[in-house]
Amino acid sequence: MPPVPAALATRGAARDDARRRRELAVDVLVTLIWASAAVAVALYLATGVVARMSSAADAVTALGAIAGLVATDLVLVMLILAARVPLVDRLVGHDRALAVHRSLGKPALYLLLAHGALVIVGYALADGLDPVTEAVTLLTTVPDIPTAFLAMALFVVIVVSSLVAVRGRLRYEVWHGIHLLTYAAVLVALPHQLSVGSVFAEGSAQRAYWIGLYVLALGCLLVFRIGRPLVASLRHDLRVRSVEVVGDGVVSVHLAGRGLDRLRVQGGQFGIWRFWAPGTWWRAHPISFSSVPTSTDARITVRALGRGTSRFAALAPGTRVLLEGPYGLFTERARTAPYLAVAAAGIGVTPVRSLLEHAQFAPGELTVLLRASRPDERYLWDEVRQLTDAAGGTVLTDVGPRAASGASWLSADAVVRGLDLETVFPNLADSDLYICGPAGWVSAVEAAALSAGVAGHRIRVERFES
Amino acid sequence: MRRRAAIAGAVTSAGVLAVGWVAGQAAVAEPVAVAEPADDAPDAGGADGVYTGDAVDTLYGTVQVEITVAGGELTDVEVLQQTNSGSRSDQINGRALPQLTEEALAAQSADIDAASGATYSSQGYLTSLQSAIDAAGL
Repeated sequence: MPPVPAALATRGAARDDARRRRELAVDVLVTLIWASAAVAVALYLATGVVARMSSAADAVTALGAIAGLVATDLVLVMLILAARVPLVDRLVGHDRALAVHRSLGKPALYLLLAHGALVIVGYALADGLDPVTEAVTLLTTVPDIPTAFLAMALFVVIVVSSLVAVRGRLRYEVWHGIHLLTYAAVLVALPHQLSVGSVFAEGSAQRAYWIGLYVLALGCLLVFRIGRPLVASLRHDLRVRSVEVVGDGVVSVHLAGRGLDRLRVQGGQFGIWRFWAPGTWWRAHPISFSSVPTSTDARITVRALGRGTSRFAALAPGTRVLLEGPYGLFTERARTAPYLAVAAAGIGVTPVRSLLEHAQFAPGELTVLLRASRPDERYLWDEVRQLTDAAGGTVLTDVGPRAASGASWLSADAVVRGLDLETVFPNLADSDLYICGPAGWVSAVEAAALSAGVAGHRIRVERFES
Repeated sequence: MRRRAAIAGAVTSAGVLAVGWVAGQAAVAEPVAVAEPADDAPDAGGADGVYTGDAVDTLYGTVQVEITVAGGELTDVEVLQQTNSGSRSDQINGRALPQLTEEALAAQSADIDAASGATYSSQGYLTSLQSAIDAAGL
């Protein structure tokens, strides 16, 4: 393999430094999540609960309280992770933040269940009752316990509906509706924390901490998921200009607005879009920018999947559009290596199209592989070709059904010709590999890259539902 | 880098927890139950009347009782103040205090067992009751 030209190597090294700084920031974020749970417990211990313990019942109750505190802390952290905070998106990407969010769901639920069980058993031991009678007594005589039980039931339903096995069987709308109950669950759990737990006692450090955390979590939600999209949508007067059919079930929505360049969209990013038209306003859709917005124009391209999406084609010019974002790290800024290798399949070409438009490349720096199962799925290929040619890069195309064996992310034809990741991308060892397409295909390319020795941090993926 | 984050998280958390623990031990190191001087000076030994016990501070709030003496006997105990740390305290008091009163009236003294699961309420109640009985000169 020829040595990396000096200019490319220098830029590659600068990108790698930037990556190290981002990774440090991610580690700080993770440490903060750990520490927040520890602070919740430490503030409780600082009230002297351990020194005051006078029986096994007290110890069981205290353990229950600790489980509840950590669970509440995790739930609030989860809300923050799902609030699409721009800083978090820039550092780890929305998809990884959501992966952490998902990974915390089950632990939080187990802690909540442990909280309920331990506190009831602790109280029952203290009162000399059996746990069932104690639970009934609590429900019927202690204020705010019924709403706490309701919150527990809601949390169980929310987490169960999000288990992989269950979520796959639910329509997105149903799952999303259930998931929104999280906010109700958090709110109805509050009263018993105030009255039964004494964490909000006036003037205590616990009170300051919990009020701060609740304000942060709900504030992030209000600001980043409601306030900013509304303000941006009104300020930029974002509306549908026209809808263009690109292929079978694939449409480009052209948008008009004011000062759209100030949205600072980077090529390769996506937005969460809501169209204020009958039948679709209540559902938001993640859709990639297929070109970088100018001050007056933006374009997104989407394949019609599911119920709401098929209505895109019917969107009337002038329809108001609400945008959350832009989000995503499928961008020039997230690169770490001297060369760039891009693999896109089907509708996955959309962010690649805007990524190439935004970035500047040296001759030979860029190699693009375009995949389609059928000839009519070659969406935007001409545009990608033009941009790649202009950048002095190379485009390879591969049309045909996926091979049954060998490199299954290529067509059977390509596999017969002896192609694999290293022959498609000759500079793979010094490349970032950007992969975008249907989830299964992306995973296959990613696996091939890892087994070819590409470092994990050099692989960037954007998965589309298929 | 995942490892670095896990180690940093664990070490930070352990430190935070240790600080909380130490603070908690220190918070309870000083004795908290301090009896206030009695409101009423003893008027007459064993005389009929109403006697107010000391207000006793416990970790969960102040407890104070008032007793009624008739015919040289303890006939009633009324709770003026009780532990007050949320509705769980109310639940405990609702169960424990009537039980303590019943036993005190039967024993005609504060020399009875604490109610189980109500350590601090009982401690406050019995201390206050003893001071009231002393004041009445029973």
